[in-house]
Amino acid sequence: MHTTTRIPMASKDTSASVKNLLRENTLLLAIVLLLAVAGSFAPAIFKPENLANMALQFAPLGIVVLGQTLVILVRGLDLSVSSVMATSAVIATSFSGHNADLVWILPLALGTGALVGVANGLLVTKRNVSPFLATLATMIMLQGARNAWTQGAPSGNVPPLLRDIGAGMTQGIPNNAFPLIGIAVLAYVLLHQSTFGRRMYLVGGSPNAARLVGIAVDRVTITAYVLSGVLAAISGVILSGYVSVVDNWVGKNFELDSIVAAVMGGIALSGGKGGVPGALLGAAILVLLSNAVVIVGLPIHIQLVMKGFIIVAAAALYVAKSKVRS
Amino acid sequence: MTTSHPNPAAADVRAASKKTSAWFQGNERLVVVVVLLLLLLATGSFVSERFRHLGNLQNVYEQSVGLALVSAGQTMVVLTGGIDLSVGSMISLMSVLTSGLIDGNPERVVWVVAGVLALGLLLGAMNGALTLWLGIHPLIVTLGTGAALQGLTLLYSSDSAGSVPPEFEYMAYGRILGFPVGATVTLLVFAGLAHLLHATRQGRYVYAVGGDPHAATLMGLPTRRVLVSVYAFSGLCAAITALYVVSRFGVGQPYTGANYTLASVTPVVIGGTMLSGGKGGLMGTLLGVYLMGLLNNVLNFMDISSHFQLVIQGLIVVIAVSSFHGRKAQPV
Repeated sequence: MHTTTRIPMASKDTSASVKNLLRENTLLLAIVLLLAVAGSFAPAIFKPENLANMALQFAPLGIVVLGQTLVILVRGLDLSVSSVMATSAVIATSFSGHNADLVWILPLALGTGALVGVANGLLVTKRNVSPFLATLATMIMLQGARNAWTQGAPSGNVPPLLRDIGAGMTQGIPNNAFPLIGIAVLAYVLLHQSTFGRRMYLVGGSPNAARLVGIAVDRVTITAYVLSGVLAAISGVILSGYVSVVDNWVGKNFELDSIVAAVMGGIALSGGKGGVPGALLGAAILVLLSNAVVIVGLPIHIQLVMKGFIIVAAAALYVAKSKVRS
Repeated sequence: MTTSHPNPAAADVRAASKKTSAWFQGNERLVVVVVLLLLLLATGSFVSERFRHLGNLQNVYEQSVGLALVSAGQTMVVLTGGIDLSVGSMISLMSVLTSGLIDGNPERVVWVVAGVLALGLLLGAMNGALTLWLGIHPLIVTLGTGAALQGLTLLYSSDSAGSVPPEFEYMAYGRILGFPVGATVTLLVFAGLAHLLHATRQGRYVYAVGGDPHAATLMGLPTRRVLVSVYAFSGLCAAITALYVVSRFGVGQPYTGANYTLASVTPVVIGGTMLSGGKGGLMGTLLGVYLMGLLNNVLNFMDISSHFQLVIQGLIVVIAVSSFHGRKAQPV
């Protein structure tokens, strides 16, 4: 396959893609409006300290959402991300707590994430297991293995460098933004500039057509799950520095959060639609919304109710739109 | 079968043997599960003297009630090609509502129980209706409603709520002629439902809709009504499970149902019900429930920690599901 087939893509140039994004996302506009209302009720949302607080929370979610986006693009779903995050956070605290440990922590954590991704990908492609069940099962297995290892005891042995990256700021910019920016650029190039990215869109848009033009659909799909696992592991390591005392539930609810953020950012759950800018925008909006709930003074558990509604509403809007079009 | 036949006796024998072999062909999965159950019984007796005691097996039988109840609803939904990921949150919500609203008053029991059962039906029907009206895959709908309901549960109570009078525990601990009430009623209801599913028109509709919803609609079957009904049934099962859980622990807790979401799918897929719909049944699920109960029991006797039991549960789901080569690809 050396012939370069041009597949029309959403993001040919940035301004068109942003315009497209807004037109495509009634939901997003509604949420921005909601935020403006929340902001007028509680101006504290936009105070510098609160913005810095939100900025710190953005990177861990953003990194996971990028992985989740890759999987959703190829018609999948990755529920194991939260378990991978907790496991890599536990790995980060399982050593002596010195910076030198990172030599072991990083390969172990990232390797675990990749391994889980391989398992998910193989189950989905080679054994036809539905993505949600495959990733739910690996999530549970990993949870059991992790609990057996830690015996439920939390640990605070986070290497100082990870604390710096996870919770530190440099001139008002959270340090964890740097790995996020690096990953986002890589993801953008991979998805929107490379042949592999085009293949992913084709696999998600129409797996049969992709197969017919000679794309190794299984390999593309497995790669998406592996990348999602690795990104979740990176996010878990960063988060261990943010929370500084790691129990078995670091990253709890991130599987839901990452899906909510992705659908808000216009990643279609039916596959083949959406991209990196949308995913990051979705993550930013979710962090803002979750924060607004607390600042406005609503009970914190409203967050879960809100996320549930967003998933259903986003999926419904998408279906309604594709009906109008066809 | 009253039609006359030239050689009734021979025809009966032939028909019977044909029927038997056809049954085996359609139910290899049940045979596999029964063999696994026997293997587990053998392993258990080998591992521990105490395993063989009738009291131990009775424990397994009684501890399986919650899982059996919630899996019954899940089976119906999966038979139509759907999935209900909100059962865990529904159980949590209704368990805190039950003990929270009764709050120790015996005179409130009847009303609260009736209310919770109605709520279960309503929440389930809502899942079904949302799936139909919005045209979204049930996985996404129930993931969303599940999150929202868990949020509502925590808004109502973020800790154990209220209490129930001692009589409420009859469902979990009562005995009739030495038989545990809850477990035995569950077994009988399962058998009754399995019969209805196979022998009644409404039951066959469930299979028809799961096999090919489009064809079912073309044939004039009430596809929409069937779909809403199975989700409503799943909600009702979640409500009964919630009542049982409160009866067993004496109080409702906001995360009590969390583990039921995956756990309810496990016996369904072990029992041979296809996630793509249209194939399987309740008896397989019931055997799957006992298999999981017995497995945990044997693992306990082997001193394997509950953490590893989670690993093993995950492995079993994966093996059970991946050993299928379905006619059609499984849904999301």
